[in-house]
Amino acid sequence: MEPLASSEIIRAEHLEVGFGDKVVWQDANLDVRRGEFVAVIGPNGAGKTTLFRMLLGLHRPRAGTIKVFGSTPRRGNRKIGYVPQRHTVDNDTHVACDVLVRLGYSGTRWGPGIFSRAEREAAAEALQAVGAAEMANKPIGSLSGGEMQRVFLAEALVGNPEMLLLDEPLSNLDLRRSRDLVQLINGLVRSRHVTTLLVAHDINPLIPCLDKVIYIANGKVATGTPGKVLTSESLTALYGVQVEVLRDSRNNIVIVGGEDVGGEDTHGDGET
Amino acid sequence: MSFDWNIVTDLRTMWQYAFMRNAFEAGTVIAIVAGIIGYFVVLRRAAFATHALGHTGFSGAAAAVLFGVNPVYGLLLFTTATGGGIALLGPKADDSDVAIGTVLAFALGMGLLFLSLYTGYATEAYSILFGEILGISASGVVFTYEASVVVLLVIAFIARPLLFASLDEDVAEAKGLPMMALSMAFILVLAVTISIAVQIIGVLLIFALMVTPGATAVRLTKTPLAAVLVSVTVAVFATWAGLFVSWYEPYPVSFFIVSIVFAIYVIVRSVDVLQKSRLLRVPHPSEKEGIGTLQIASSLGVASAVMLSVGVVLLLPSILATGPVIAFTSALLDVGFALAVTGAVVGIAAYLLYFWGFRKVTSVERDLSSPTVLVLLGILGFALAFGGEALLYGGQVSAYGSPAGPAAALAALGGIALVWVGLTLGFLGALGLALGNWRAGQRYQEETIRVGGFLSFLPVLSIAGYVLCCIGYVRTGRKLARGWQAVPVGSRTG
Repeated sequence: MEPLASSEIIRAEHLEVGFGDKVVWQDANLDVRRGEFVAVIGPNGAGKTTLFRMLLGLHRPRAGTIKVFGSTPRRGNRKIGYVPQRHTVDNDTHVACDVLVRLGYSGTRWGPGIFSRAEREAAAEALQAVGAAEMANKPIGSLSGGEMQRVFLAEALVGNPEMLLLDEPLSNLDLRRSRDLVQLINGLVRSRHVTTLLVAHDINPLIPCLDKVIYIANGKVATGTPGKVLTSESLTALYGVQVEVLRDSRNNIVIVGGEDVGGEDTHGDGET
Repeated sequence: MSFDWNIVTDLRTMWQYAFMRNAFEAGTVIAIVAGIIGYFVVLRRAAFATHALGHTGFSGAAAAVLFGVNPVYGLLLFTTATGGGIALLGPKADDSDVAIGTVLAFALGMGLLFLSLYTGYATEAYSILFGEILGISASGVVFTYEASVVVLLVIAFIARPLLFASLDEDVAEAKGLPMMALSMAFILVLAVTISIAVQIIGVLLIFALMVTPGATAVRLTKTPLAAVLVSVTVAVFATWAGLFVSWYEPYPVSFFIVSIVFAIYVIVRSVDVLQKSRLLRVPHPSEKEGIGTLQIASSLGVASAVMLSVGVVLLLPSILATGPVIAFTSALLDVGFALAVTGAVVGIAAYLLYFWGFRKVTSVERDLSSPTVLVLLGILGFALAFGGEALLYGGQVSAYGSPAGPAAALAALGGIALVWVGLTLGFLGALGLALGNWRAGQRYQEETIRVGGFLSFLPVLSIAGYVLCCIGYVRTGRKLARGWQAVPVGSRTG
């Protein structure tokens, strides 16, 4: 699939990331362009969230260069909307969803004052965009997992960012709901040309929509179109051990050999 | 001092004494600040940190007593120092219970040491542990004001980022908020609030003002502003009611405040259970009928508020006259009394109709169910209070006719108990009425009803409030008749 516009959003060269002495992954080259829908996949602990934290300016690379929107990542970039992994919202949180979305819009503003009309309208628009308008007045804690992810998405979307970073929005959703959410996100990517990186454990619900895959495992990062990256040949070459990418009749992918590559990484569990 | 059925006279009598005025002033200010901070305490799950700061404050106060300094300065020094330390441990530190618990035990140990070194009276320790609002001095009141202004200014400045950081830490951090500084600012503000609140409620009972009102508010509301308003209202009501009752009873004020706050919390929690009962099930729900009922309820509300206000104005001469007993000498006073009583009865009728109307709308709007239950509890409360007043009035009248016997004393005691249980419930009912109208206004997109509901809660403005509600419900009725569809506020289907 051709990108809608070819301007560069993320460029990284020979990037190396780690904590203290431990190298999480190294020699990564990334190239994400405007309006692309990118999946970031890989086993637990491979460093997917770390990649996001680096893009957000919360974590510094050990080596290499990274540019986001043409400059070094910094905290508080309003062009980026972020949904962290598994928000801990328990069902005791009696705060209406639109309050959270409004905070996504102007939560960093200091000084007294209640929410203005512009803020309320921005929040309503964002909730509308994710199909959660009727949840505006419900307490966050009363929502189901899928509804909650929509509200978080609205919170990330409210300032009209140019890039969305979504960390595992599909975890804890059943198959149907995760396909619904992927469809919704894909709609946003296409209609608003908002570049989107999405961390997922299971790539299969995403495959029809993706422009690019970033596959992180065993300290290495592979990137490219799904058809190019997710093949036995490319993954075997990358990891130096035999990796098989199998496809079923519906074109669902199962990666075998991922255990050697980096833990419990057999995609497609639960797929039939 | 004997209790009089007329609350205004009672307050006047109390306020003749400087220590009572000081207590009411400081108590009100502290309740307002504690109610606001308490909301954030609940939101940030910092209840344990609050508890611990109170305890370190204890050793600070004990040290101050030892050195002959005003305990409040010791409190301030120790709580802010500990708070700063907790904040430095990390942005998530205010809910890390092991570290806090360790500091807490050490702080109490220090406090014990200071106390044993102090050779004076044990009453100092007692008042730090359990509060001594009646002993608060004029300079203490001034200090309370100063500290409160600082706290309120800081919280007004950081409110929105703090809310964001408390609700959604990761996103707030990514958006560039200084998490450590926010955490530090909050815990320092918390420390100052605790230091002044200890004067009223004491170290051991600090939860009652700092946590319980916020926890109650969070269960009744869905927006931060509403939650803060309810939290403050509960804290102020409990403080006033506690001070009021303690005037007549030889027991500590803190006990009354704690038990009133506790009662409100328990009732609000049990509202969840009542919501699911048959109480709110209407066989043939009709929204339009409900609106019709609410129109009548609001007009009765207007009538009641007018009668009560006029009645009180007419009674004013006798209220302003000194002495707790009112002699009905003139016809004017008789009219005033009759108006006030009729106004109260009509008011109860209005509450009944509000309950009925809300109940019908609840079938299409789940969000109205907790206000509906509260209004019903309020009606029960008013009935109890009425019964209590009757007992007291009867007891008093007979006391003048013949020497008061044990029966009259028992009636007086029972009357006071009934009045206070009733008024606590009535307070919740009034809160429910305001909340219900607020949410109905949201559902029917009628600002008049929302504002009216809010005003109806306030003593003087209630007439205007009910008038606004009346207008709002009439307009809603017309809208519905035209086939307008209401926007569901939150039908919790998920």
